[in-house]
Amino acid sequence: MTYPTHREIEAREKDALVTEDTRPGLVFRPDVDILEEPDAYVIMADLPGTNESDVEIQLDKGVLTLDAVAPDETSSPARYAEYRVGGYHREFRISEDIDRASVTAKMRHGVLELRLPKSAESRPRRISVEAA
Amino acid sequence: MNSINRNFTNETSLPRAFASLSRDLHRQLANDRNRSFRGTRGVFPAVNLHESDTGYVLTAELPGVAPENIDVSIEGATVTLSGERKIERVAGDGVAVHRRERQSGTFRRAFELPAEIDLDAAKATHKNGVLTLDLPKSAALQPRQIPVETP
Repeated sequence: MTYPTHREIEAREKDALVTEDTRPGLVFRPDVDILEEPDAYVIMADLPGTNESDVEIQLDKGVLTLDAVAPDETSSPARYAEYRVGGYHREFRISEDIDRASVTAKMRHGVLELRLPKSAESRPRRISVEAA
Repeated sequence: MNSINRNFTNETSLPRAFASLSRDLHRQLANDRNRSFRGTRGVFPAVNLHESDTGYVLTAELPGVAPENIDVSIEGATVTLSGERKIERVAGDGVAVHRRERQSGTFRRAFELPAEIDLDAAKATHKNGVLTLDLPKSAALQPRQIPVETP
């Protein structure tokens, strides 16, 4: 018997980063999607447990750095644990054609959406052909 | 996990056959502790379970899943989480996907807790992509202080 099934999620365990950081605690590498729209790049990052105020984004020398901390809100140790709580860190090399001043970020249900609009020169442009 | 084989010839109607199959699946998922809490690679969502004297707190990481797409049901000591994670943006319409690590699809997990839950007092909250289930134990199972009276 076969069913018309939806694809079931095959999630990966959160990847803990091994860093030579002096910061205490765990840091994970968040899963991301990187999309390109005609006029912007969009980065979506899974940051479960993170408030807007706990996310820090920096753009420096063509590298975009994402840092976030998910506060541990549990008071007792877990009886069973499948995931751990900590920070998130990831870096992205960004192309030169970004309009840095108009980068925006918003959080919804633990997902960060970063919009990196392309600079005016690099957007696709339609050139109308005039009759001579 | 054992395969589920059933003979439906005795079932009088298709809905009943489905209900029966769903009960079987449910029971298997609930009973399979290995699947529930250990060796969980590939299982979505990841959950943590905390216990206190008065109840359990089950948390699940569900980033990007809107509350209306999460279904929580409790029956006795069995908690079932199911739903769908939708990734809205797809390629096409001038959108190119350079990297796709975030998974979409349906999910379903069942957990059997060691004690029955007080259904009326159970609570589910959803914040920053984390679902928190507050599951107080049935009043009859909660520890009670008995005052000692002097005659």
